[in-house]
Order: sequence, then structure tokens, then C-alpha cells
Amino acid sequence: MPRQSNDELITRWKDEPAPLLPLLHAFHNRDGWISEESIRAVSKGLKIPLAELFGTVTFYHHFSREKPGKSAPRVCTGNVCCLHGGNELLESLKSEGATAMPCAGRCDDMIPVIIDDKAFVGLTKETLVHRATPMPVPNPGGVTECVFSKIREEGRATLEGYRSSGGYRGLEKALAATPQDVIDAVSESKLAGRGGAGFPTGVKWKAVADAPGDPKCIVCNADEGEPGCFKDRTLMDHDPFAVIEGMTLAAFATGAPLGFIYLRYEYPETEAILENAIKDARANGLLGENILGSGLTFDLYVRRGAGAYICGEEGSLLNSLEGKHPFPRNKPPFPVTHGFNDKPTAVNNVETLASVPHIIANGAAWYRDLGLGENAGTKVISLSGDVQRPGNYEIPIGLPLQTLLNDWAGGPLPGRSFQAVTMAGLSGGFLGGENLNITLDDPCIKSKGSFLGAGGIMVFDDSRNMVDAAHDAMEFYAHESCGKCFPCRIGTQRMTERLNGSTPKLTKEEWLAEMNDIGSTMKSTSACGLGMAAPHVTESLMRYFPEQIEAHLNGEA
Amino acid sequence: MISDLDAQKTAKALILTLDGEEVAFEPGETIYEVAERHRREIPTLCYDERLEAFGACRLCIVEVEGIRNPVASCTTKAAEGMIVKTKTDTIEKHRKTLLELVASENRSVDVNQLSGYASQELKILVDRYDARTGRFAGKKSGTSNTKDKNPFILRDYDNCISCYRCVRVCAEREGDYAINVMNRGFNTQIITEFNNDLRDSECTFCGQCVQTCPTGALGDRKALRDSDTEGEIRKTRTICPYCGVGCSVDMLSKGDKIVGVQPAMDGPANEGALCIKGQFAFDFIQNADRLKKPMIRREDGELHECEWEEALDFAAAGFAKVRDKFGRHSVYGIASGRAPHEAAYTMQKYIRATYGTNYIDNCSRA
Amino acid sequence: MSNPLADMEKPDVIFAIGTNMTECHPVAATRLKRALTNGAKMIVADPRKTRLAKMAHLHLPIRVGSDVALLLAMAHVIQREGLIDASFIEARTAGGDEFLEHIKRFTPEWASEICEVPAADIEKAGLIYGQGNPSAIYYTLGITEHICGVDNVQSLCNLALMTGNLGIEGGGINPMRGQNNIQGAGDCGAVPNNFPGFQACDDPASVEKFSRLYQTEIEPKRGITKVTALDLCGKGIHGMIIDGENTVVTDPDKNHCEHALKSLDHLVVIDIFLTETAQLADVVFPATAWGETDGVQTNTERRVQRLRAAVPPVGEAKPDWWIVSEIAKRMGTPGFDYESAKEIFNELCELSPIYAGLDWDRIEDSEYQWPVPDKNHPGTPRLHEGEFKNGRGKFTVVGYRDPAEVISKDFPLWLTTGRRLEAYHTRTQTGRSAGIEYLLSHESLEVHPDDAKSLGLTHGGMAKMASARGEIEIEVKVTDMSPKGTVFTSFSFANVPVNILTGSGYDPVTQTAELKVCPVRVTAV
Repeated sequence: MPRQSNDELITRWKDEPAPLLPLLHAFHNRDGWISEESIRAVSKGLKIPLAELFGTVTFYHHFSREKPGKSAPRVCTGNVCCLHGGNELLESLKSEGATAMPCAGRCDDMIPVIIDDKAFVGLTKETLVHRATPMPVPNPGGVTECVFSKIREEGRATLEGYRSSGGYRGLEKALAATPQDVIDAVSESKLAGRGGAGFPTGVKWKAVADAPGDPKCIVCNADEGEPGCFKDRTLMDHDPFAVIEGMTLAAFATGAPLGFIYLRYEYPETEAILENAIKDARANGLLGENILGSGLTFDLYVRRGAGAYICGEEGSLLNSLEGKHPFPRNKPPFPVTHGFNDKPTAVNNVETLASVPHIIANGAAWYRDLGLGENAGTKVISLSGDVQRPGNYEIPIGLPLQTLLNDWAGGPLPGRSFQAVTMAGLSGGFLGGENLNITLDDPCIKSKGSFLGAGGIMVFDDSRNMVDAAHDAMEFYAHESCGKCFPCRIGTQRMTERLNGSTPKLTKEEWLAEMNDIGSTMKSTSACGLGMAAPHVTESLMRYFPEQIEAHLNGEA
Repeated sequence: MISDLDAQKTAKALILTLDGEEVAFEPGETIYEVAERHRREIPTLCYDERLEAFGACRLCIVEVEGIRNPVASCTTKAAEGMIVKTKTDTIEKHRKTLLELVASENRSVDVNQLSGYASQELKILVDRYDARTGRFAGKKSGTSNTKDKNPFILRDYDNCISCYRCVRVCAEREGDYAINVMNRGFNTQIITEFNNDLRDSECTFCGQCVQTCPTGALGDRKALRDSDTEGEIRKTRTICPYCGVGCSVDMLSKGDKIVGVQPAMDGPANEGALCIKGQFAFDFIQNADRLKKPMIRREDGELHECEWEEALDFAAAGFAKVRDKFGRHSVYGIASGRAPHEAAYTMQKYIRATYGTNYIDNCSRA
Repeated sequence: MSNPLADMEKPDVIFAIGTNMTECHPVAATRLKRALTNGAKMIVADPRKTRLAKMAHLHLPIRVGSDVALLLAMAHVIQREGLIDASFIEARTAGGDEFLEHIKRFTPEWASEICEVPAADIEKAGLIYGQGNPSAIYYTLGITEHICGVDNVQSLCNLALMTGNLGIEGGGINPMRGQNNIQGAGDCGAVPNNFPGFQACDDPASVEKFSRLYQTEIEPKRGITKVTALDLCGKGIHGMIIDGENTVVTDPDKNHCEHALKSLDHLVVIDIFLTETAQLADVVFPATAWGETDGVQTNTERRVQRLRAAVPPVGEAKPDWWIVSEIAKRMGTPGFDYESAKEIFNELCELSPIYAGLDWDRIEDSEYQWPVPDKNHPGTPRLHEGEFKNGRGKFTVVGYRDPAEVISKDFPLWLTTGRRLEAYHTRTQTGRSAGIEYLLSHESLEVHPDDAKSLGLTHGGMAKMASARGEIEIEVKVTDMSPKGTVFTSFSFANVPVNILTGSGYDPVTQTAELKVCPVRVTAV
């Protein structure tokens, strides 16, 4: 294909919904980097002030502004990959222009390296391979699943396979009923946000349905940026129509004609899978106008992010979609009344949306009863790190952590014992000691000062230095802090410095006092979840591993 | 029928509790606005009343009963029945920590007052909260731009605290969108597009960014020439001498020397705005070319300096001579559109009262 | 301005014509930019692609001097589309029937030929202005500095009257005054047709009043304008006193003007610098400058504001009023024993109905916009609310006229002149302020790339520019800011005296010079 001109690219995108990101990607893909000339052209084409656009482009980690750009390897140096030699792999690829990237969401596999639009994995530069997302193993506990219940069926990722394995039964059922019936069913199922915040999905949809303003919008948050989380990619790659059907149900319930899937940059193959699935759905009357002959109109667009953890925060995500600087928004107002383009918007996680077709098809009670004891439903846990069988496991909420670690995932590596796990990816900080005996449900985990969140659990065995682990975590937060609010912008930096010993010598008392003060102020005053969550890492480090801190301050390795 | 006005009168006033005191508020007001009206002196660094509240510095946090974390009062709307505490030990402790953190990222919190209108805000708060503790030492944020040689705006980002007031005032008030923020987190840096000099950007050198900067990171380079000049800074409220908009300014002087200009935030025509001329083109006043003595044209055909008496007598005699020779319609007066009323008034009165004609005009026809 | 500056944030539709506001009134322009952010629509009619034009939803790069044609056609569209405010016309105006009949002939297609912009765009402009609620008009010298300046202004009035956009918040007709106290000079009676407070010189009661107050007999008729006076220099006018104006650089036809002043028997100039004009004087008086002078000035929204001295004057400089008073006293004229600016301003207030509610102390906080007829009056931010001062708003039937000179084989390009952001007038002030030269070091002629190519001009090269009156040399700047066939420069630099070329004609009513249109020939040097 001949190189497309600036004007051709702009004409292609400027009248599309949420055009900035795809247009920037179009230039990035065409040239391998985003030149000054490209930025000028986009600024003119979309009428975005030049300085603002330039600032926005620099915000995203993955937009290259110089050669070799996109084709240079990006090597994951996330927490788990550090355990596997990510930094060493990066070093070995430096001659090819390699740079580091934060957790790329493949912690159950070898170290990911992204080159152009391909995600490779491997442990050395010679052995990098390009392969599909692993399929979750059959449920080791033999319990009834929800989102994984059909994912292993042959051809499930094709429209034909999806429909033949029960797909779109939920939507058909819903279209025969009313939007209120869908909202009621979702509410009664007690489904709550699976992206981390745990807000009741039925309540959110009701709020969007009731809010004035059109067109309303459904946004699928597929920015899965939380370190140690890789469940959404598995769902999208192996069951893309479940996500699309879930969004269509959300659209029906709320009255939204427009939807976006905001997909993180690091999942290039997933973008192609989703685009193909959307195309097939559209061609078969399952998206667009008059869906299944019901008169329902809903269309759906994939928008690819460009490397910013904060864009998983819904305000940032919406700003990013709208082509603005991706700072979080001040709340209230909330997206349910003032979301995309200030219109009522439901922002839901992939797993949440993928659950809905099953819930509608099988009934609210069915889903609610999947949990253990008082708990409703299931949760996919992304398990990684020092454990025999890392991977995604759909658990009944309330499952003991030790059951997951030992019975389902095979226990620690030979000769090792578990020292700590993270919760909620990184956002819940560490659990260690006695608190490894929790059950995986929020009432229990919250009583230990943490939370289940998006369900990422990274395991550290007794060979690991937990101060280093905390440092890698805090460095991630510092790297991803958007820079808007002071406590997070400065606090993550100062904490990182105190964990890598780059500050002037502090006494233990000074060190602890500074860390406590920063942490307490960040938790109380930060403008969004990032700054509030980051101190969990240091708090839990101080709580469970004081002797390792002492060693760190004494300069011991 | 009840008119709107009556309805307003009978409608129940909105009330919240502010530090134990019941106070009324208007719909749409933020907690910060209500508290400021009641003289609570809530600290802020990212707030400029002319700008949309941004919620970056978090110093304005207050406790609201029923909400777990403190809220930023600048971005939180007041609500009926809210119980707000603006100053608890916990809140004050967080504020001090925040100020210690901010102080730790800058080269210095002490900057010359001539830097700009808001330049002392950080210094004042750091002192108020006794936050010069040297805690939280570490890397400094922001890098001063030493390559931009423009003569007006100092870009000393070593002292930048990323409050984005400059970015916001440029966009929201000036509408120029010349500056923005590059990178993110601790690496944020205020820049123009492609990090060019201001001259090569959309900047119009209105100086609004300078005047809203709370740390002196952006400074008035022309005023700062007089940093070391002896004398207290005196401010005199007057009106800009350039176009017809009539912006209110405060002229800054030290002794008999004019050292700078700052916009008057309460000026009715400009509400704190100025342009490059009003902001920076003031030093013609004490320029060496100024006429210092009267001059008259002598026999050699050249203008020579002379004393006032001689010049005034000469001027008056000249007009008397013309009038006597050619009649009263031979003298014409042109008043200035630049000088004050008193100049124009006396000029027209001089012509009308001396010659009995209306042979008077001003420079508006060109 | 009919409306206050604060109203500039409130229009639904902005129609800016003949105003380069972001450069000439930058602070006022910030309010328009905020209106745009709030969702206002903007039409800009200007030959040049100014910053304001780039922000507009619709830019009409009309040929210089074709404003009347554009405005007639817009009125035509407004009527045809039923966008007139019939009840406003009925209740508050006069001459509507005749006007509405008159404009039926002037279609956008007709205007398109004259204005050299597409008829569809003129159509669109009429629709947008007509549909705005409210629509506000802003203009400056691009409207008035034409031989048809009065026609231009009246055409704008017609638009506002037919759509009822007067006397309402966010609407109005708003000329932006160019100089800081040009409004005040008029308020003070420094005009040949009015005494202070716009009391007419041919009104017997006013003549009697001022004759009594000034203890002399003032002739009951208008004086001549400055333009006429300059024409008569040496031929009737033999003495002149000029305060704070660099006439020979700002006025059209520089050679004529210089010659005029040289032929006077007696020229007195009051200024702060030895300007080109002062150099021709017999006596030059050093006046106090801004920051050294107490006084009053009135801004473009009729706001009466205090100037305050911050520092003592340079050298022996004295306030203008003191200098004029001393001359008057020496000529035996009574009533000039002033001790302070305050005394003079208070005298002005006593004589002017529009200032009757004001005095020196009451204007301390800049809160009054005239008219302020008495001490209990809050001032008048918005004119024409409810009623017009003179009864009914009058429609005027105007027709299009060509400029005084049009392009020809000898002078095939249109020259139009204006100001630049960084320079004020003849740079007597900005040219002496440190740093301005960093941004604007010299003058240049803006030429469209196509014209540059056909004329063999290069960016940064020199060119000769000639009109029927003279010739200057100027550096060329190739830019698409100027439309094809039109060149632009400012009058700010004395070494590029563009006003040697201008001066083709004057408005017959106001005698304002046609500085905005001058056919020229440009050749490479």
C-alpha cells in the first residue's frame, strides 16, 4: 500500500467518534514515530492547540517521537518480569534500541517484548517467540464458572462458535423483555465492578438510564494496566463476542447508541481480534441499526491507548478518548451523568461486561449463588510470580487463598515457601505472615487493610527481597503518576527514592516518619485511586517486613 | 401568582455548617468559595479565582462529615446540610506535609517580589505552616529554560511546582493555548509546543502566566532588572496608556524609579488581564530621550532648550501675533487622544475662550 | 461601545468586521475568545487572515473597501429568510419600510462580485447573524477609515436595528476605540462640533451657556476639522497648537502634512518626546507622561477612570493642562487659574450633563460608565435599553461606492494599513521600551505568495512601493495572511513612512481619511 498522506489520514479519521488516538496511531504506524510535522498536521486537522497536543502526545509512554520508534523492542520490567530477568533481557536488547516498559500484562508467561504490533515472549533475546494468549486451564477446583464457563469451547472466538455455544441467548432474552428487566437482573445478581472498584453494576446502569442527556455511551475499560493482571486479555482473545454481547446488553439497558472499547497499547493482537469480531457482529445484524430486528441501535469502536496506567482510571480514560490531556477528572460529577463528551456514560470492566450475557441467560440467582457463603458470584484471579502454575483462575468469591495457591496452582516452587502475595495487582499492597490465610472476598481482605480489586495476585517466595519488590512497585507508580495532584506526583517520587537508597542517609526513625507522613497524606489527599493506593505498598512493607527495611537502611543487600 | 423574586424570597436558604457555624450559600458555590467569604483563609497553590478550579495542590482539603477522606474544597460543591471543618489537626498536618513536599522539589522558595503578582504565595504558606524543615529531600523537579532569551518572561522552572496555573490562564483567560505540560508525574515540565522558545509559539507575551505563578518560576524579567535597586516597592493604581480598553494596572516604583507594572485583578475592564504593551512597555517613561526642558526655535533656525518663562511668553506672543494679523480664525488647536481629560478640556477651553471659535479637534481622524 | 466590555463574553453570535482585535485590543479579544469557548459562533470580515479570522467559524476575506456591499447583502438575506425583528422595528425604529424595500435588490450574488468572496458565504453570514440571539457587532478603524466610513457604520446600524440587537445584553454595536483617551477627548469637547458633554456648537442654548461660562462670545457654528485645517495651513490657518500627537507620521499623505505644518507662522507642540512633528515646531513643551500625571481618562465602554502619578516627572516636565493654562493666562484669557487636575475635572463635570453625577472623588474605583446624569444615578453600562436617546433608531438607506482610488494598470495592488500587537502608533513609546525589538525589529510588507511570485519578490528582500502620491522602500514578508492582490503594512516605523502613499480621499461627513485603501505598485529592488 502506498504511504498515505497526512491529509488522507486526517480525512479518514477526523469525523469518526473519538478520533485523536486512532489518528495518532495512524501516523505512528505509518512512520514508526510521531514527527513534529505529524503533530502539526493533527493539530490543524482536529483543531487541537499545538502545545496542548504536543503535551498530550508526550504523556503516553508508547508514542515514539524519534526513530527507531515503534520497531524498537519494548521490554517488560514489571514486578514479576523483574523476578524472571526482565532487566537482563532489556540489557541484552539495548543494541537494538530497546527500552523498558511497565508491566505489559503477560505475567503468566515469559517476559513480553513488544516489537511493532507483535508481542513476543521469552527469557533471552535468542528465544523470543510470538504466540497466542494461553487458554485458562480447566477449573482445578471443579467449581461452576461464569465468564470461563464456555471459553474453552471449540471456535468460541468466532461468531458461529459463539452462537453455537449459547452466545447471544442473553441478548435475545433481553430484547424480548425491557431495559428495566435487564437492570433488575443485573442488580439482583449482585454483580459488581470487576476492574477493581467493585461498584454495583446494576446501580451504575440504572443511573445512566435515568440521567438526562444524549447520546449516552458505554465504555468497556480494557486498559488492564494494573501490574499482575492479565485476565481481560484472555477474555477478549478467547471470548470476544461475550464482551460485545455484554456491551450490547448494557446499551439496551441504558439507552446508549454508542460504545467504545478502550484497549491498552500492549495488547496489539487483541485489537485485531476485537476489530474482526465487531466486523462480523455488524455484518450479522448484531451491531449497528436494528439489532436482531429489535429496533435497537448500538455501534461500537475500538480505541487503542498508548501506554498510560492512569487511563484505566475512568476520568482519565474519558479524557483520553476525547483527545484531551489524560488527567483524572474531579468528581463529582461522575461519568454516569457527565461521561464521554459530558453525556451519561457507563464505564465497565471487560470481565464485568463479559459476565452479563451469562447472568441474563442463566438468571440472577444462578450467578449470585456461585459465590461461597454470603458472597455472590465469581472473580477471575490472575495469579503470577513464584508459584508452580501461574495463570487465570475463575474462583467462587470466598475461596481461601491457600486453596488457590496450593491446591489449584500447585504450591511454591521446589524448596521454597510463600513469603508474600500482592493484592489487587499492586494496589492492595502486600500480604504476608498470618494474613496469607485469608479468604478471597472483600470483607475478609479489607479487614487486613487491603482489597481484592482487579484480582491480580503476585506471589513472592522466601528467596525474594521485599524492599526491592516494594521499590519496583513504587517506581511503577512514580512512572505512571499523571502529575496532576501534588501528593501523588511528589510522594511516589520520594517514596521510590527512599526505597532505592538514593536519598541522603536517614536514620530509621526519620525514614519511617517520612514514609508514614507521605503515605498518610497521599492516602488522604490524592485526587484519584493511584495516589491513594500506592502507599499500600509501603505500609504493608513496614507492617510485614520491618527487618528487611532495617537491612536496607543498614546497606545490606 | 408568585413572581420569581417572591419565590426566591420564600425559598429556604441553603445552609451548611462551617466549623460549627451555620452559613448560607448560593447554589453552585464550592465549599472553598463559601469558606473564603467567611474568612477562613484556606491555603491553596493551584487556585486562581479567575480560573476553573483544578484540584491539584490539595492544600484546600477540608473534612466533610460522612465522607471518609478529606475533599478538595475548591472542586467540591457546597450542599445543603453539609458539616464542614476547615482546620482540624489532621488537615493541618496534611497541609504541612504537602508544603514540605512542595518545598523539597524546588531550588528555593524565596524569590524576589518583583517576579510577579502572585510570586510570594508559596513562600508565605511555607512560613505560615513552618514547613522549612528540609524533610523529604530528593531530586528536584522541573528544569529551568536558559536557552529562551526573550526579554520579558523568565522561565526558571527549577522553582516550578506544576500547579498549571500558567497553562490554565493561557488557555482559559488569554485564549492563546501557547503553553502546556510535557511528560507526566515527577517529570512534568511546562513547555511550548516542541519545547520551542516562547517567541516561536502562540505566546503573545501578555504576561498572564507570570502574574499567576505562585512561586516566581515564571518571572517578569523587566521588573527583575531592578531587584537590587534600593527602596521599598510602591504600588500605584492607574490605567494603561495604550488602547481604548482601559485596563487597570498597578504601577510599581522604587523611590522615583518606575520598575514595573502588574495587572489589577479587580480592574473592571480587564479583570487582571493585560497585553504585551500594558505589561511590558512602560519604560519609555523614564527613557533618556524624554523632553526635559522647553525648547524654542531661535534665529539659527534650530530648537534650543530654554527656561519655562521664556518659552511660555514666546508661545503666547506668537499666537497673539497671528491672531492680531490674521484674525481669530487663524489659530487651530489639536488635542490629544492620549493625554488625560484635563489636557483636552483645557485645550478646547483655550481655543473657545481665547478666540471665540470652535477651531478645535483631536487626533481621532487618523 | 453600546455595550460594556463584560458583554463580550455573552453573545451568541459575534460579527467582527474591520477589527484586528487580538493585536489592537488584545485584552478585549480575550473576552471574545471566552465567548467562543462558551459556544458562541463568530463571523469575521477582514481581507486578512488575522488571528481572529483563524478562530472564526466563517471568515469573509472581502476586498478592501467593499463592506457596504457585504452588509447590504447580509441585510437582504436576513429579510428574505424572515429573520427580521418586526416588533422591534415597529416599536423602536424609523425608516424601516424604505430600508427593507431598498435592500431587496442587493443579493449575495451581486455582493459576491464586489466583495470577491463566494455568495454562499455571504448567505451564510446573513443567516448566522440573523439567527443569533443575541448577535453583537464589533468594529474598529477597518470600518471608519474609508471615504464611506459613515456609510459603513450606518450599514452596521441597519443590521442591528432590523434584528433588534440593540439595547440588549450581549448584543449591540461596538466600535473599539483605538487610543486610550480618544473617547475622553470627545467627551471633553475637543471636537469642532460639540462643547464638552456633546452639547452641540450650533445649539443656541449651548453657545450661550459656554459663552457665559468662558466669558467670551463663541461663534454659534461648528468649527472646521483637523483635516481641513491642515489643508488651510498658510492659507488662513497660521498658528497651531498640537498636544501629544505625531501628526506628520500618523496622518495620511505625509508630504502634504509636513508641508502644511512648515507653512505655519507659529506652531506649538506639547509632547513627551521630540517627535517628527515636534521637530517642526517653534516652541516645544515637555509634558508629563503616564505615571507622572494625575488625571482622568474614559475607555471604549465609556468608563470614567482615574490616572494616578506614581513618580515625579522627568526633568522639568509639566502636565499638559498646566502648559495650556499658562499660555491662556499670558494671552489674558480668564478662567485658567487651576491648581490641580481635580479642579479641572470637577469643572468639566459641572458643565456636562453626561458627567453631572460624577466628580473627582466619585470615580476613585472606576465604577461609572457615562451617562451619569445625577449623583444618585448608577451609570449606564448599556446604551439604548428600552429607548433610544433621540426617540427612534433610524434606518439609513445607503448604497455601495467604490473607494476614492481603485486599482489600475499602474497601481494594480490594494494596500491596506493597520497596527501590530507589539507596536503602538508611531512607536514613540513602544519603540523606547526595552525588549520590544526582540519581537518586532522592523517593518515589512505582507505579500501573498502568489503575488510575490508574479512580482519577483523574495521573502526578506526589499521592494519599492509606490502610489499616486509617493514611493517608499520596504522589506518583503511573504505570507498567506494577506489575500492575493492585497498587501499590508503598519504605520509604526518612521523609517518606512507608509503614509507618504496614503491619503486618496476622505469621508465627506467625518473627514476621516481613507487609510485602509490605497492602490499601489510594488516592484522588487
